[in-house]
Amino acid sequence: MIFAGFFAPYDPAEQDRKNPYLPPMRLHLVDHQGHFHARPFAYGVKLREGSFDQYEEDRTETFPLKFLVRGASYRFLGLVPSRLHLFGTETDRIYLLGSDSYGRDQLSRFLYGGRVSVFAGLLGASVTLLLGLCVGLAAGYYGGWRDDLLMRLAELFLALPWLYLLFALRAFLPLAVGPLEAFFLIIVVLGIVGWARPARLVRGVVLSAKERDFVRAARGFGAADGYLLRRHILPETSSVLLTQATMLVPQFILAEMTLSFLGLGVPEPVPSWGNLLSSLQQYSVLVSYWWMYLPALIMLPFFLGYLGLGSELQERAEPYKIGR
Amino acid sequence: MHGLVRVENLVKRFSKTRLAGPNQEVRALAGVSFSILRGTTLAIVGESGCGKSTLALCLACLERPTSGKIWFEEREISGLHEKDRRVIRRQIQLIFQDPANSFNPRWTVLEILTEPLALTGNLRGEEMRSRAGGLLSQVGLSPDMQGKLSSELSGGQRQRLAIARALALEPKLLILDEALSALDCSVQAQIANLLMDLQGSLKMTYLFISHDLAMAAYLADEIAVMSHGQIVEQGAPEKILKQTGQRNHDALFAAKSRSRFLPAHRRLAACLCVYRSRPRELFR
Repeated sequence: MIFAGFFAPYDPAEQDRKNPYLPPMRLHLVDHQGHFHARPFAYGVKLREGSFDQYEEDRTETFPLKFLVRGASYRFLGLVPSRLHLFGTETDRIYLLGSDSYGRDQLSRFLYGGRVSVFAGLLGASVTLLLGLCVGLAAGYYGGWRDDLLMRLAELFLALPWLYLLFALRAFLPLAVGPLEAFFLIIVVLGIVGWARPARLVRGVVLSAKERDFVRAARGFGAADGYLLRRHILPETSSVLLTQATMLVPQFILAEMTLSFLGLGVPEPVPSWGNLLSSLQQYSVLVSYWWMYLPALIMLPFFLGYLGLGSELQERAEPYKIGR
Repeated sequence: MHGLVRVENLVKRFSKTRLAGPNQEVRALAGVSFSILRGTTLAIVGESGCGKSTLALCLACLERPTSGKIWFEEREISGLHEKDRRVIRRQIQLIFQDPANSFNPRWTVLEILTEPLALTGNLRGEEMRSRAGGLLSQVGLSPDMQGKLSSELSGGQRQRLAIARALALEPKLLILDEALSALDCSVQAQIANLLMDLQGSLKMTYLFISHDLAMAAYLADEIAVMSHGQIVEQGAPEKILKQTGQRNHDALFAAKSRSRFLPAHRRLAACLCVYRSRPRELFR
């Protein structure tokens, strides 16, 4: 996702009005006369006779696929300006995942969109976790009336209907804020609102951890609260935090998708995964242009892979299994 | 010889304070008084739930008693400010029942042993390592196990490690809260002997908390029997055992109650162990 600019062949906002809803192009190694080409190539496309959205391959034109070509400019890692792309063609545009209603390259939009969506997920999850961790530590470690107060507050926040909260928030935000900034502001606010669940879990872990004998022993060596929290209790919460992170990041990505799907999230023309999916709202798109589903299908293995990574990390962080 | 610790009318109530509704209260200690002479062992025996562990936590300055006084070296410590209590705590060390729970599972033996040193002293890395090695050999462990995790050690080794860690601060009072109860019978005897040797060489004072009357009689100079948060009997081990009238029977009963949860073949071994470990004269 960080290298979206490099992997994506085109600027995600660049339109090609001549070719809306173009199906994914096939890459060929053997041309229609049976000759073999070492470099994969695609045929040009033309509208089928008497149709406005059916294309067929135009075998008179070929676009050989070139690697490391110069194309639309972008900033590498957000800093270094560059025009280098992993692949592309020299003459006409090539659509490996088809194009959308404005003739924008779906692959580029998917890659750039992932950048926005995943960043939103990470941002929201880290805000939530950080806040939840602090509140959970305080409630669990100090106990007493502070614990009661914080937990009642947490229950209040758990009861908030987040979708309606979002609508309200979106309505309250001033129009002067840029659309993308407004979106990230919403994600941050969502993150802040979500502190209750991780806080409750962290509190539970802290409650049991502070009664563990090794924490008592360390107190017996004259350790102060700060030391105990940092050296003994914080590491105990790591596995809960990891589980929460594995759950929250996709949850926030989904929240972004939901928002964008409803038109409240990332504004066009900035691509995001939610925006890609929101084009599926139209019946005609659902029925006629099957490649518009492709981003959804690619997201599946992404989420599965992420969950797998999360559970792997969690097992590594669990010390109790070692040597037993 | 004079008293190292003196406890007077100690009361500890636990209450769950809520924002609304009545407070629930549990009385764990209901007026406990005793004193321990320097270099001796006082055993506190009683069934589970009688307040033994609460007493241990209060003495170790880990809990504040609701009322009553604790003098440590002629200084009242229960009402001190938290900062001063932190200093006092270093001289009173606790050994816990469950050796698996006594150590941070992420830490190696070296880290475990140097934690008290790092918290108090200003030793450098090399000095700490040699001190850790010294502590390990003092409790009969091999100094080259420093790199291991505590979960790689056996139960007896862990309890030795716990003792070594407590010794790092050169405490004056060592509180053994059911320290032998989780161990195998033969290992119990080894650790008990180690404790007696250490007491001889380091002139430490022990508070031995147990529900095992036989082991208490073996280790202690004086036994106090606790029940429902109060001390109901106190005296020399012989006297306590005699008062029950049936000396052999009693020791056996203690062993049996201890081994209630063991399988049948282990139960016999546990009972035999009492006969072997008890001093002869107690059975006369």
